[in-house]
Amino acid sequence: MTVVLASIWGVWAPYLPSFLRGLVITMEITGLGLAVAIVLGAILAGFKLSRFRTLRLIATVYVDIVRSIPVLVLLFLAYYGLGQLGFTLSGIASATTALGAYYAALLCEIFRGGVQGVEKGQKEAADALGLGRVSGFARVILPQAVLRVLPPSTNQLSNIIKDSSLVVTIGVADLMARSYQASASTFRPMDMFVLAGIIYMALYLVIARAIERWELNVQRRRG
Amino acid sequence: MSNDVVVELEGVRKCFGPRVIFDDVSLSVHRSEVVAVIGPSGAGKSTLIRCINRLNTFERGVIRALGHEVYGTEEGKPALKRDELRELRTEIGMVFQTFNLFPHLTVMKNVMLAPQRVKGLSEAQATARALELLEMVGLSHRKDAHPRQLSGGEQQRVAICRALAMEPKVMLFDEPTSMLDPELVGDVLATIRRLALDGMTMILVTHEMMFAKEVANTVVVMADGRIAEMGPARQVLSAPKTERARSFLERVLPHTDGGGVTDVRTHPQDQGGPIAGPIDSIGGSALWSREADEEELL
Amino acid sequence: MSAIALYTGEMLDGAVITLELTAGATVVSLVAGAAGAVGRLYGPKALKTFVMAYVETIRGLPAILQLFILYFGLTQFGIDISAYWAAFVWLCLYGTGYAIEIFRAGLQGIPEGQHEATAALGLTRFEAMRRVIIPQAWVAMLPALTNFVVLELKNTTLLYFIGVQDIMFHARLGVSNSGQPLVVYGIAAGIYVVMNGTISRVGGLLEKRAAIAR
Ligand SMILES: Nc1ncnc2c1ncn2[C@@H]1O[C@H](COP(=O)(O)OP(=O)(O)OP(=O)(O)O)[C@@H](O)[C@H]1O
Ligand SMILES: [Mg+2]
Repeated sequence: MTVVLASIWGVWAPYLPSFLRGLVITMEITGLGLAVAIVLGAILAGFKLSRFRTLRLIATVYVDIVRSIPVLVLLFLAYYGLGQLGFTLSGIASATTALGAYYAALLCEIFRGGVQGVEKGQKEAADALGLGRVSGFARVILPQAVLRVLPPSTNQLSNIIKDSSLVVTIGVADLMARSYQASASTFRPMDMFVLAGIIYMALYLVIARAIERWELNVQRRRG
Repeated sequence: MSNDVVVELEGVRKCFGPRVIFDDVSLSVHRSEVVAVIGPSGAGKSTLIRCINRLNTFERGVIRALGHEVYGTEEGKPALKRDELRELRTEIGMVFQTFNLFPHLTVMKNVMLAPQRVKGLSEAQATARALELLEMVGLSHRKDAHPRQLSGGEQQRVAICRALAMEPKVMLFDEPTSMLDPELVGDVLATIRRLALDGMTMILVTHEMMFAKEVANTVVVMADGRIAEMGPARQVLSAPKTERARSFLERVLPHTDGGGVTDVRTHPQDQGGPIAGPIDSIGGSALWSREADEEELL
Repeated sequence: MSAIALYTGEMLDGAVITLELTAGATVVSLVAGAAGAVGRLYGPKALKTFVMAYVETIRGLPAILQLFILYFGLTQFGIDISAYWAAFVWLCLYGTGYAIEIFRAGLQGIPEGQHEATAALGLTRFEAMRRVIIPQAWVAMLPALTNFVVLELKNTTLLYFIGVQDIMFHARLGVSNSGQPLVVYGIAAGIYVVMNGTISRVGGLLEKRAAIAR
């Protein structure tokens, strides 16, 4: 056993620094994509909950179409397609655009569900107290919606991490791409992919634990 | 409208879609009067009091409350402006059947939220007011708890404090004790009783007949989409004039014989507790008689 | 323009392969997933642990990494599978991991009282499952199952990378020959939207029927 581990370690060690630099890029893409998705998703959710039909329609059409396009196709549209229109995006910018656009559609539905899931009586109680629409939403509905929205959003975060690996197809040197290159140069693809897999899992687990702890904290504070 | 009238409904009709819930409801509530609304389930009692603070809209008629005049949507009058609606709601306190406390806020913050955000009270002012109110309902020791950590009865008393913190001129209660375990009802009723003694104007939907008889000046019986009977509490509950009110009361008060009302659902605390003297007609009796006369014609 | 038309035709040919792989993998995954879920819920401890670890691995790793492990990784041990079969096996393995979760959640979502009621009535475990638990779980699982098929279909987009001649494969050829990425990938997106939209629509209809039947 120790022999096997030692020999595997011998294979991994030279590539670890490069993999970790790839991990930084993976995290960068994930973070940027998530940020765009949250902002755009929140705006779309606002549209969906709006009184105005046109806004609701825009959001519905966006969500229905975008979420049925595979992320890889969105990535190619951003990377190759937008260039044709004169917006040449870097690999990372394309990934941010594609992941942001796709996950905004998913988060929109999650956010909308979170807000609508807050019990009707809460809105009524806020109304009855004369809290205006803004403070009623900000102080009563939103804090409750956030807690409902966290678990499904964490799920999507893990999906964004995984989908960030698609940039291997457009030559961004993320964790996935580096493991692919290393597997070609060492002729030990399995060893390299396993190392990448371990790092992906570790990244996911660290983030998920952090969010879980925060969630528990908030829940405990609220009794 | 006499100066003394705080809330007045005139010919109000409410529909949900094609269904008429009630029609032609007229009612005046005077300063410091306590009106109990009773009636079978589904009669529209909740809907009626929710129309008063506009949690529900209504179709016909007019509701005047604290100097604000709200017309039914079919009356062709302009709707209340948003600011005026908020002002109206800040002057009317409401207590819900299911409490509807804000679960993410502590007891204190629940009570302080609206005074700070709507009335612009400072943190210190809001704290002082909240503490005073929680003290009054005997819950100051629970001020840092979250709603989930409280019993139903405690939650409801906090909800009453939350409404009172806005210094409302009228309080609406929608079956404030019907979700509570029997042993928790007494504390909530004691709080309401105390408000009555302090001269708070209240409209109270309730199934607690003993309590209605004790604290209410006026009882309104809703049934079959209208007010079936309305009059002084003791008279309506002991000797209803209309057939509809009588049959309803017989059902909920199975031990009624002659004038004596013994509600089987009344709780020991209520019978044993300090029952306040009847606050009969603080300027009430003469003024409801107009509607009462109309009722006779039905 | 005619180049675009030509490659649209090729992409539609590719769509047949996409659909073929999706349908085949979906059937296999659902059967294996149902078995896996039963093992996960009612099996011996070792089996439970194994199924759990399997599901976590499939759900934790990027899809493309899994595909590469199967297609490139196994060559390290001298195992050489054709692109098409590697693709199919991967779609099945991946789908099984997700299907297990869907069935597990569906079965666990049925309230304990339902199990107790069937026990009180003296139904056998099998009868209880068949007459009471599964009919209820099925309705609850329908939305997740619809998403599952869409997910598998989207997964097929990765297969071009190892040389499977699906929609994406032809789209990429079309782009390099026409120099019109926006149009060609736009058409590809349209094809996926139509296919996924149809799946969602059918799923929605099934849900509606199931809701009425209740
Ligand atoms: N939002 C709504 N949409 C449609 N119908 C409603 C709505 N709210 C209430 N109703 C209907 O209006 C009628 C009156 O309801 P309401 O809640 O006012 O009755 P209630 O007298 O308070 O009854 P309970 O004693 O059970 O609380 C009921 O038949 C109810 O089904
Ligand atoms: Mg009611």
